[in-house]
Amino acid sequence: MSEVLLQQIERLAADAKTKSTQLHKGETMIEIEQSQLKNFITRLVNQIKIRHLSTITGLDLGQNIGIIYHFWRDRNTIHLKTFVPKTKPTTVSIVDIIPGAILYEMEIHDMLGVMFVGNPWMDKKLLLPDNWPDDLPPPLLKNVKPADIRKRLGLEVEKK
Amino acid sequence: MPRRRAGAAIPEMFRTMLEKPSTRAYPYQKVELPARFRGKLDIDPERCTGCQVCAMVCPAGVITMIDIGTRKVGDKELPVKRPVFELSTCIFCGECVDNCAFKALEMTKQFELATPHKEDLTMRKALTK
Amino acid sequence: MTEDKPPRKEESAGLMKYSAENLVPFGPIHPALKEPEYFKLVLEGEKIVEVIPRIGYVHRGLEKAAESRPWVQNMYMFERTCGICSFVHSLTYGQAVEGLTIYEIPRRAKFIRTIIAELERIHSHLLWVGLMGHWAGFETLFMWVWRDREVVLDLVEAISGNRIHKSMNAFCGVRRDMPEGMEDRIVERMKFLVDRANYYKGIVDTEETMLERTEDIGRVSAETAEKLCAVGPMARYVGLRRDIRLNDPYAAYDEVPFDIVTSKEGDVHALLKLRLDEMIVAANMVSYAVKHLPEGPIRIKIPPVIPAGEHSSHSEAPRGEIFYYVKSSGGRTPDRVKSRQPTMANLPTALEILKGQTIADVPVVLTAIDPCFGCMDRMSFLDIESNRQWTWSGEELRRYGINYYFPERMKMR
Repeated sequence: MSEVLLQQIERLAADAKTKSTQLHKGETMIEIEQSQLKNFITRLVNQIKIRHLSTITGLDLGQNIGIIYHFWRDRNTIHLKTFVPKTKPTTVSIVDIIPGAILYEMEIHDMLGVMFVGNPWMDKKLLLPDNWPDDLPPPLLKNVKPADIRKRLGLEVEKK
Repeated sequence: MPRRRAGAAIPEMFRTMLEKPSTRAYPYQKVELPARFRGKLDIDPERCTGCQVCAMVCPAGVITMIDIGTRKVGDKELPVKRPVFELSTCIFCGECVDNCAFKALEMTKQFELATPHKEDLTMRKALTK
Repeated sequence: MTEDKPPRKEESAGLMKYSAENLVPFGPIHPALKEPEYFKLVLEGEKIVEVIPRIGYVHRGLEKAAESRPWVQNMYMFERTCGICSFVHSLTYGQAVEGLTIYEIPRRAKFIRTIIAELERIHSHLLWVGLMGHWAGFETLFMWVWRDREVVLDLVEAISGNRIHKSMNAFCGVRRDMPEGMEDRIVERMKFLVDRANYYKGIVDTEETMLERTEDIGRVSAETAEKLCAVGPMARYVGLRRDIRLNDPYAAYDEVPFDIVTSKEGDVHALLKLRLDEMIVAANMVSYAVKHLPEGPIRIKIPPVIPAGEHSSHSEAPRGEIFYYVKSSGGRTPDRVKSRQPTMANLPTALEILKGQTIADVPVVLTAIDPCFGCMDRMSFLDIESNRQWTWSGEELRRYGINYYFPERMKMR
């Protein structure tokens, strides 16, 4: 069962001109181009029937922001990794394929500033406060210091 | 499918009325605590060597080490340190107790730590020695 | 949409905009919500047509804080993500980190982990059944169920030393062994809980108060739930066989016999029975695991530096799937820890269920997903620097409040 699934995934990865690597037992990591992402997920959902998206992780990788889509079925976990340049953090939304991804995309939008084109709630804030200034960097980037943000929001109280 | 009716729970209601109360009159009637209960931290100043392991493992930043003097090792002067505990931030995980190689720390069964003064929760017991 | 009726909603750039008269704000502070959360309800008459969530009122910044703390300290921090299902958080984080190391977890530790996780499931489900009775207007059930919950909490306290935050987990093992001579007591208490669960099942099936408030409420189709990535009981009550204990066994779940409970009815009443059934299954699992506890060590001490790599782990919390992703660069602190709580995964499903219900059913439906907003909000940044702390006195807090809402009044002073 598991091996059949692995072969199917490898074939899909080959179609998307990329390769799958085994991270650990039952865990597959596939690095994929942004342009191929939507096509790949559509085939994953419809052909291999891996329908459950656990979550989407955003990572600060220095030059890029990594976005990992975590899928699983039975004992197999599939991580789909795609990269977004920090200078232009925009990628496609997968809400039309997996509607359950909507909050995860909003979360990454709030925390790392990545724009998901196609997500209907991209103009709303999910986690950050309403009075969050637009010129502040997203808080989960590595170079952002919590103390600076606190000062900027006026949360530092002077000692008497 | 059983018949639906209002008041299916009434027999149980009468039964529980005859039972003794489930609650205890707590401040007057003390509860027996289990043997592994993790309450307020306590230190035996005699055993503490100031090795700083507890301060390193504490997840809540309860323990700070304070210099209380110096000691001579060979021809070097090394500081002697002793811990100060800020018990108001303690999360009672017991990690420091597990890691203390000299068995100086223990968790007592004392849990009534409420106090009007925050300073009461700073434990400087180890400094006196 | 005809000419004589003014358009209620207009489409602009793909975003829905609604006029003010049919918007009802629900929260952030609301008697029906135990935790601060805000839902914008768009109504048509009394029917809800759209719900827009706004979470984040209790953010604590755990993911950012995790990047600056050692691996072991993070375990205690993630345990405090939630006050109800605390053990399973540290278990999943621990499993994610253990995957990066080469060590094997001792078999006895796996069994102890299973026992504690199942005790926690019983206590969480009992808490939920009580709350459900509370929101359905059946306060007596709430009292009874919470009284029986004490039984589990007492057991947990005897095993771990604390009622809620057990601090039992360590990397590659558990910190405390099972106490001597507890076996009979646990088995006997589990028998008592099974009896109680069976009794409550009878109550929720016959008592009219309960049936009126729960039957035919909160329906969703299996396809929708699957598309919206529902997890835990929210997936099982529509008939999906999605349970990580069965699908991808962790700890000792591949050695303890059990079967998951699913339902076909798909309403809140089915959820009630499903959670009570799950409680019975969990109680039987605890009895089995206690009787078949293997001998051996309970822990392997591992060095504080975790090898570089990335790994993910998921497990079945009482509310559903908990997911942790860990990235290490070979240092003393993690590079990135991502944690996803079941309420976050179930929220889209809950919003979907709310559409078409009346306002009066909002508390029941929102309670039905067993929400834990404190869990879900874990990722802001306001209190995370361990060495810099600041406190506000009551007077300062009052002044801040006045200044925030009525700045002109402050100027007058």
